[in-house]
Amino acid sequence: MGQVELLQVSKRYGDSVAVDSVTLGIEDHEFIVLLGPSGCGKSTLLKMIAGLEEISDGEIYIDGRLVNYVKPGDRNVAMVFQNYALYPHMTVFENIAFPLKMTGVAKTETRERVLRAANALGLETLLDRRPEQLSGGQRQRVALGRSIVREPAVFLTDEPLSNLDAQLRVQTREELLRLHARLQRTTIYVTHDQIEAMTMGHRIVVMRGGVVQQVGPPQQVYDEPANTFVAAFLGSPRINLHVGNLDRAGDGVTFRHGEVTIPLPPRLAHLARVASASDDVALGIRPEDTHVLLQSSEGTSDQVTLPATVSLVEPVGSDLFISATTGELAWTARAEARLPVRPGQQLSLRFDLQRAHLFGADGRNLAHPG
Amino acid sequence: MAIETEFAELRPSERVSTDTIARASRRGGVSLYLIAIYGVLIVAAIIALLPFLYVISTSFKDTVALFKYPPEWIPSEPTLVNFQELVQDYPFLRWTLNSFIVASSVTVIKVLIDAMAGYAFAKMSFPGKDALFLVVLLTLMVPFAATLIPLFIIVRDLHLTNTYIGLILPALASPIGIFMMRQFIETLPADLENAARLDGCSEIQIFRRVILPLVRPGLVVLGVFTFMTQWTSYLWPLVIGTKEEMFTLTVGVQSLRSLFTVNWGVLSAGAVLSMLPLVLVFLFLQRYFIAGSIAGALKE
Repeated sequence: MGQVELLQVSKRYGDSVAVDSVTLGIEDHEFIVLLGPSGCGKSTLLKMIAGLEEISDGEIYIDGRLVNYVKPGDRNVAMVFQNYALYPHMTVFENIAFPLKMTGVAKTETRERVLRAANALGLETLLDRRPEQLSGGQRQRVALGRSIVREPAVFLTDEPLSNLDAQLRVQTREELLRLHARLQRTTIYVTHDQIEAMTMGHRIVVMRGGVVQQVGPPQQVYDEPANTFVAAFLGSPRINLHVGNLDRAGDGVTFRHGEVTIPLPPRLAHLARVASASDDVALGIRPEDTHVLLQSSEGTSDQVTLPATVSLVEPVGSDLFISATTGELAWTARAEARLPVRPGQQLSLRFDLQRAHLFGADGRNLAHPG
Repeated sequence: MAIETEFAELRPSERVSTDTIARASRRGGVSLYLIAIYGVLIVAAIIALLPFLYVISTSFKDTVALFKYPPEWIPSEPTLVNFQELVQDYPFLRWTLNSFIVASSVTVIKVLIDAMAGYAFAKMSFPGKDALFLVVLLTLMVPFAATLIPLFIIVRDLHLTNTYIGLILPALASPIGIFMMRQFIETLPADLENAARLDGCSEIQIFRRVILPLVRPGLVVLGVFTFMTQWTSYLWPLVIGTKEEMFTLTVGVQSLRSLFTVNWGVLSAGAVLSMLPLVLVFLFLQRYFIAGSIAGALKE
């Protein structure tokens, strides 16, 4: 139990399309993350699965049952809301017990199950309190308790960590993962935070403008982004992404932007020849594949070295983020924390092109046509 | 937690600001200002309370004491004869009962209807919702005097004159409560209803178990407001009740003034007794008003 199947699901508000023909299969026990910037339709999609938003088009199946016209309470799903949505006039116990009470579970069993959920979440001593007397983290746990007490087939969570402070967020993230490991329930998790998506999801679904951009395991999506949007959305600092032209003269293929030329290694050159009709492309190189060299040195065929001027140095403790320019192009490099670099300094950037990406004029990764 | 308290101790600005206020209030300027404010308030209170006190005083005077000159504020021989006459010679208890039945029925039914309508206007979507709400609000602009005669004709044709239903029914239709409840309910986050929906509530259950408890301060305010309006309502009960036993207190007490003579003592006794429940209701529920406003402030 716990399979969710979306078939060309759409949501329209008048002329604007919030969710555009999403087709997605979610396996039992899976932890899937819907990731995207605000307004990308991820929360709307979640609410449609919950039954809180009507579906304009398409079909939603939960465990093989078409639920388009099934009431939210009868879908066997539970949801944790961004602002927790605890009932302010009820105690913690009453809040957790409420879904059981509404579905007619007997009093003694209700009590037993509430206590079990409260124990699992460390809420035993807070059962008589009201939500206003709880801290943010405690409210979050009560909201979780209210959702697990029903033992639903599918958990839906809408940015559950966004109201917590940074430290508590990491802690709660771990707690959620432990909970998922123990309960083994299908979880659909909505977030705009790429760290949460990368650390928690078995698979992530990147959305933009109501359209699914890419679905896959986090590392795969990071390593092989389907298009420039996914490449730019995942990864911090952002991927170095520059538009330019392909120069196919001679043996190899060269990426050219103004005066800057970068000879492409065989893999990318082959892609450029096979997959790109146009010469307009974008080259994407992640900051960790952009290395700072204080002295110039020779590289291999997969590496290209360019002279650069440092414009900004951002120490973040474990790393140093260095912004540097070559000609008109700005790059960000992730460097070792104690590298002696100052703004204005001249140095060399070496690009590890083995993991670089080439995107076509439509933004699509040439390595992933279609 | 420990870190937070340490930081709190490092924050001197708050202490400085309370010190400033304390110092300022010790200065003469501030206390003169306070004296002026309290002076005005005391004068206003006396002006407002004097007629009430005189009515209370009059209700304890017999016919002789009534016309003494100079008039006595505190009767030298207080008597209950007026109250006795009121209860024995007039159907005063019946009027009180009528007022109670009408005011409480209207209060209970109206608060419920207004809360339901307010919920629908605040949270549900249905075609013509905004237009309908506008129409409801527009009825606020029609004065009661304009609808009095048509309303009377309708109620008379329904043979509801001199009945409780005739007294109660027209009072239920007033848009101000709907507007008020809509404003209250609109402030509740939509996710609360969504959570309840997922927890298996029907729309009626959401209303009863989630919305109503959360707008209790609003219900109390509307309830007290409605009860007071009904208790003191005069024009409609006067028009619709022609039999003495269907008078409400307001109409009944007014009828104590006969055409040629006025027994001021009995009239005052009637006024005092009819005021009493209202004062009690207000004093008792005043605490709810205050508690309600604090609960509202802490909710977010």
